[in-house]
Order: sequence, then structure tokens, then C-alpha cells
Amino acid sequence: MRMIEIKGFIKTSMVDWDGKVTSVIFLPNCNFRCPMCHNYELILNPSKYQSISISDVKRYLEMHSDFIDGVVITGGEPTMHKDLSSLIKQFRDMGFQIKLDTNGSFPNVIRNLVEKELVDYVAMDVKAPLTDGKYKKVAGVDVEISRIRESMDYLMKSGIEYEFRTTVVPTLHTEEDIIEIAREIEGAKKFVLQKFEPKNAMDEKLRKLKPHDASYLKQLAEKCKCFVSKIKVRA
Amino acid sequence: MLRLRDDGYRPGREEYTKEDVTDFSLFVRTSSEEIHKWDRNKITEALLRETDISEDAAVIVAKEVEKLVFNLNLEDITAPLIRELTNAKLIEYGLEHIRKQHTRLGVPLYDVRKIILNQNKENANVPHGPEATNLTLAERIKKEFALIEVFSHDVADAHMRGDIHLHDLGMIDRPYCSGQNIEYVKKFGLNLPNAISIAKPAKHPEVLIEQVIKFSAALQGHFAGAIGWDAFNIFLAPYLVGIDDRRMKQLAQILVYEFAQQAVARGGQSIFSDINIYWECPKHFEDVPAIGPGGKFTGNTYADYVEEAQKFALALFDVYYEGDAQGRPFFFPKPNVHLTEKFFKTEGYDDFLYKISEVASEKGNTYYIFDRGDTAKISECCRLAFQLREEDLEDAKEPWKMRYSAMQNVTINLPRIAYEAKGDDTRLFEILRDRIELAAKAHLQKKAFIEKLLNMGKKGPLALLAMDLDGEPYYRLHRATYLIGMLGLNEMVQSHVGEELHESDYAYFFGLKVIAFMKKVADELGEKYNLHMPLEQTPAESTAYRLAMLDMKYYPLQASAVVKGNKKRGEIYYTNSTYLNISAPIGPIERVKKEGVFHPLIEAGAITHIWLGEARPDPESIASFVAKTFKNTQNAQITFSPEFTSCLDCNRTSRGLMERCPYCNSSNVEGITRVTGFFSKISSWNKGKIGELRDRRREGSLGV
Repeated sequence: MRMIEIKGFIKTSMVDWDGKVTSVIFLPNCNFRCPMCHNYELILNPSKYQSISISDVKRYLEMHSDFIDGVVITGGEPTMHKDLSSLIKQFRDMGFQIKLDTNGSFPNVIRNLVEKELVDYVAMDVKAPLTDGKYKKVAGVDVEISRIRESMDYLMKSGIEYEFRTTVVPTLHTEEDIIEIAREIEGAKKFVLQKFEPKNAMDEKLRKLKPHDASYLKQLAEKCKCFVSKIKVRA
Repeated sequence: MLRLRDDGYRPGREEYTKEDVTDFSLFVRTSSEEIHKWDRNKITEALLRETDISEDAAVIVAKEVEKLVFNLNLEDITAPLIRELTNAKLIEYGLEHIRKQHTRLGVPLYDVRKIILNQNKENANVPHGPEATNLTLAERIKKEFALIEVFSHDVADAHMRGDIHLHDLGMIDRPYCSGQNIEYVKKFGLNLPNAISIAKPAKHPEVLIEQVIKFSAALQGHFAGAIGWDAFNIFLAPYLVGIDDRRMKQLAQILVYEFAQQAVARGGQSIFSDINIYWECPKHFEDVPAIGPGGKFTGNTYADYVEEAQKFALALFDVYYEGDAQGRPFFFPKPNVHLTEKFFKTEGYDDFLYKISEVASEKGNTYYIFDRGDTAKISECCRLAFQLREEDLEDAKEPWKMRYSAMQNVTINLPRIAYEAKGDDTRLFEILRDRIELAAKAHLQKKAFIEKLLNMGKKGPLALLAMDLDGEPYYRLHRATYLIGMLGLNEMVQSHVGEELHESDYAYFFGLKVIAFMKKVADELGEKYNLHMPLEQTPAESTAYRLAMLDMKYYPLQASAVVKGNKKRGEIYYTNSTYLNISAPIGPIERVKKEGVFHPLIEAGAITHIWLGEARPDPESIASFVAKTFKNTQNAQITFSPEFTSCLDCNRTSRGLMERCPYCNSSNVEGITRVTGFFSKISSWNKGKIGELRDRRREGSLGV
């Protein structure tokens, strides 16, 4: 069986896991086609990136374990890869904490990783309010909403640390959409509103958009605050 | 060719009798806005007044010049032209040393026009305006003066060739930088020599802050570089008892805005100011009797005012977090936060660390200074930190005495040494030793010159530095340090061993060997000449460009193989000091570790920059990174540098460098980020730094 190919590696990140110093691993391919995606080459054209050998990654992590708290697995959509758990296990065995970034469309994979105690933190995207039409508009493909809902419910009950996050895109989301999302995840531990950066978006039309002001996102956060334990704006 | 021999005979100048003036109607336009009739004796007089020439020779030269001028059939002539014609004659007669004494310093018309109309790019902190062009013009003349008058021929030539770089030549009559604490102002008020009015010690914190800022401006007029204030919040604290949060914030705003907007110092620049902040009371100030309102001892020690000091520190970082009226970062004063063993044991340190890390992420102002073990540093300049010695700790008992200065910085052009050594190790270290020897010589010469000015006392040009309110001159010459800087270690190693510092262990260790050798030689020579000569990482805002350009001229083959930047655009530079290649694919962890190994060798200050670009790290992650840097590395100082685009039309500030404002699409924007030590507008950068900016590797992009 072919191992997962690692298509990107950020040696040091202070933006991917609040409070931690991490290394980030990018896996190729995705089942979504979000127009605001900024890693779209990784999905559409993964062969463009040279694969990075797992042993190089492990050597780096070993050498700098005095700084690195955890490894962030992102993509693309990591949960599409069958042997994800064996990849994660290798970092786990070295003593690192693991964060998984996911779109939540493979609830069984998430459940499996959590149950085997292979992840410490899950950041799940909630692209839009959970209706077929709205989700499709933001995810770029038909999405089985029930699976998103299942991942969501599971994370909220699992006892693991997690966050739900939404990248707020002008023209794709209205203010009501964001509040609607907050309502759907009512009771969640943490909800993050992310600022959309136009310049690297997959959909060329979005690249010309004016991004929201940080102050707009903060106001929006105020309105969603009552539904969740913690809310944060990531600009 | 006629040669006149100078027989050394010197008639008494009063015996000199004027010769009759040849009568021809030529008018001379002098530089004192007057028009005189031609008088040959003026030439003779000037020669006799200014040079060692004999009277006979002076008379002959003047006659020759007259003949020359007469034949030209002019209606009028300028005094500077007559001087140059005289100089030409002196050369013709082989009197080169007389010619040198008779030199005229000045600026061509073309240059003056350019200086008045165009922006000065040598220092990004200098705006463009009448004050700034005054500065540029004055600096040009003082620079020439320094190279002719203050430094010996070999030192001046080495500077002009680019073997070494003598910093701040245009400010030859000032020392380099100054670090002190506010106790002097608290104790003595504002009582400056030649001042029109004198202020008693302040009774209120607002007044104290204003006095400190005025004193900073006065000091800036006497130092080329930064004015640093040690343990600012600790010493301010006795004035802050019982002050509520609102007024505390107001005080912090007064401090920051007054410093940031003081564009009235030299050449319309802000004061290059540093304020050093401690969360805990540093050990060496714990038992020191505190001075409070009215300059009186309060009966308590500084350890008793930690709570007030902490409240002020928090308020101060609130101000930095907000930025200016448009949300841009404050360029000055630079806040240096000292992290010590005691810091991590002091209550509330984690909240404070979070707060300053929020500022680091959002605005980038915070400098994290690591004082490990029992060392204590006072950081005053872009990155200049002094290690406190036994005698300093003695001074700490009377803190107003703690006044430190670096007299001068001389930078060694390291890549050139590699070109000259042609691969030979022994030769490389020999040349390096010679260059440091030359730098030491330059230091001795500058020291002698400043000493001469200081010895003129309160009537002299450095009266402020001679004031002696506490019984000794403000400028403590015997405690001055003399900095040996370095430029382009990376390119030196690349040229000599074929790999850059980050490319192999061999190259890296060779680099360490070079710096260790520099320290050893500087220490030896320091002992020999009785100069304290620590190594410093030269900020090299313009030097990195100047020396790269000179090497492209004199060593084009070797230099073009290693020089960084874009050669086509002329945007070239050498990597600063001991930094690793700025575009190398290594993360911040490797950078703080690897660059940090050099830092203990560089006692007068070293730093690692982490270029953030548009990334906005989580403050807690930064705090964790900083704590690990303290515990796991030898790194002396780090800072995180974001980039900003400030829109001049809609007045909004966004993250990252962009050609257009993302909000209103205007192209009327200016980019802001750190140039070397401080923030500035990119439009004022020189070409070399623009080249470097393009190369800077921002952290957090996909794929390494």
C-alpha cells in the first residue's frame, strides 16, 4: 500500500494551534471545492508539490522537540486518507500532541481517531448554516449535511478539545448566516470566526473582494457570543 | 617643474608685510556674502594662517595664482575658486601636505539642489524637509572633516575603500549612544548648561515624563545614536502611588506619544529612544533607596513599588497595542522587556507575557531581552546591551550615576577578507586581525578628538556632557565602550568555504570560529590600548548596501558570487552581522537556536528577527516560544516583525505589504515594517534594504 504523501511542511507555526508551538503537515486532495480555499493547488494539482519524506519530518521534529509541542495535520482534507491513523501514530509515538484540521465530512474517521486517543484537538470547519443549498454554495460541491451534523455532535459529546470555525467571506455569508451557524453549534466549547484573505482564493472572482474589517468580525462575534462558551476572531 | 623647498623657516606672522596690490579690476565674491576687490595678499594671508607654508613660498604661490587669474580676463571670481586654483598651484609645486591643510570642504551646487529636492535614504528615520536637509548638508561637511582631520590617512583610506566602515562620521563631534536612567532627572530636575530656564525636580508624574523627554531631546543633540532609559517603569513607580487606572493609561499615552511625535530633534527626526521595562524589581535595585516627588528620598526601596511599576507596564502595552490614531505601530520609543530568572518566578508574569506577546503579534513593538543567570543588561540602542560589571553594581546603589555610552562603532567588512585571503585560512585570520587593529586605531583617534572637546568643559561644544551636577561629568569617558561590528559573516563563509552558514555544519562552525577569533583579538587589543571593545551586531542600515557596492566594484568576480539581493536592479546587500541568510528555508526555531549560539560572543548586543509578514500568531503561542527561547537557547534578544500597509486615502491600516489598499483600492499607500532595529516607512529605504525586504522569508507560508 502507498503511504500518504506529505505535500507541505511548515517547520514552526504559531498560528495553527492556540497557545502552542507546532509543526504543520499538509496532506493533498479534498472532497470539497470551497471557492475561498487558499490551498487549492494542493487539491487540484498536488503533483505540483514535491513530496516530503516522513523521515525528514521526523528528524526535524526530534531535533526540536524542546520547542515543538504538537503536530498539526491539515490539508486538503486529511480524513480522506485511509492510513491517516498510522501516520499520526508515528508522531504520537514520538511524544507529540496532535491537532487535526477537518471539514467534518468523514465522521467515522474522526470518531476512530478520538477513540484510539490519536488526536488531542480537532478544528472542524463549519462552512455555512446546515442547509443543503447554503452548504453547497460555500463548499463548492453537494454535501451530505447529516455527516457534518454527526461530526459536530460527536465532537461536542466526546470530551476532547475542539473548535468549530468559519471563514467569513463577503458575498458568501450574511451576518444572519454566521449567527445561524452559532445557533446550530449552541453549547460548543469554542467558535472561531476567521478573516477571509482575498488574494489567494481559488475562485478568481473572490480575489477582488474587499475583506471584512476586523472590527466587523468583532461585532459579529459579540452577536454569536451567547451561543458558545468561547468565541474568537482570527484575523 | 618648479619645486619649492619648504626650509622650515617660519617668520613671526606679525613681521609679514603686505605687498602692493596689482591693480586690476576684478571682483571676488566671498562666502561671507560680500564682494571685494581683488587683493592678492588675501591668498598669502590665508596660506600663512591655515598652513605650515613659509612666507616666501606663500608669496610666490599667491603671485602665481594672480598671474593665472589675470590671464583669464574674468570680471568676477568666487573665493572658493581662488582657493582651488591656489591648491592646484600647491600641487604643482609639490606642496601636497600644505594643499591638504588648505582644503576647502563644501558641496557642489548640483548636490545641494539634489539634497534639497530629494529624500535622504541613508537613514529611514529621517523625513524630508528643511531640517532634514540641513542635517544632510552638515553631515556631509563633518564627514569630510572627520576623514581629513580626526582620522589618520590609513584609517580614512580603509573606510573609503570599504575595508572597514566608520559609523556616523557626519556626527564626528558626538559619541555614538547613551544609556541612563531617569534618576538624574528626578534628583536634579532639568538644569542644563546654557539653558534659558531651569526646572526643579518634578513633583508630579506628568512633569517628570515631560522633563525626561526634553532631556532626551537634549541628549539626542549630543549623541549620534539611541537614547536609552533603563528600568523606566521601576524608577517612575514612586510617582505613581495611588494613581487610578485611567490616569495611569493617560501617563503611558503621554510618554509614548510625546516620544513618537518628537520630530523636532536633529534633522526633524524622532528621538531614537528605548525604554527598558521590568515586570519584577531587578535584583540590583531591590535595596536601593527610592527617589520620589520633589527629588526626595521616600524612605522606601524600589522593591516596595513593584505594584505601581507593574501597573504602568500594563498600561504602556495597552497603548502599544492600540497603536496610533490610525492603528499603525509606534515607531518610537522602542520597548525592551527584560526576561530574567526572577521574571518567571514573579507573580503575574504569565499575564504580562501574554500582554506583551499580544503586542508582538498585533503591532510588533515588543523586544524580548533575555538576561539569563545573574547577568543584567541595560539595552539602549538598536540592539546594544551592556553586561553589568562589578563596578556597575556598585553604581547601582546610586542609580543616577549609571550612565553608559558607546563612543563609536567600527564595522569590519568580512566578505572582503575572504576575497583577499583567496581560500587560505591562515591569511584570512591574519587579515582579520589587521582589520580589528585598524578599527582599534580608529577608536583611539575618535576618543582623542572627543576627549579634546570634553576637556573644553562647560564653555566647550559638549557642555551638556560636561555638566557635573553629581560631582563628575555627565559623560563618563572612562566608562565608554568602543564597538567592533561585523558585516556579512554569511557571505564571508560562503566565499571562503563554499557554503553558507545554514548549508552545512562545517560552514556554521567556521563562522563561529571567525567570531570567536574576533572577540579574542578585540579583547587582547582592548587590554593593550585600555579600551573596552566588545563585539556588536552592526545594525548596518546603509552599511550592508555600501560595502556590497564597493566590493562589487573592487572584487567583482568574488563579490558577485555571494552578494545577496537583485543585481539587475542594483538592490544588493550583504547579510547583516552574524545572521543566517534572510531567505533561507529555516524556521524560527532553528534561527533562534543557531543564531543564538553567536550571541554570547557578541556582548554589546545581538538579536534574532522573526519576520512575520502578514501572519498574526496566537499571543499564547508567542509567549510559549519566548519562554522556550529563554530556557532552551543562548539567544540574547528576539523580536517579531509584522508588515503593514497604511492607506493615505481611507486612513486604514492593514496587515501585509500590498500595492493597493484592500479596503478602498487606493494605490496611495505606504508600507511599514522594521528596517533594522526600528519600524519605518519603506518608501524611505535605501536600495540594499529594499532588496533585503524582497528576500525576507516570512514565517508560516506553505511548503518549505
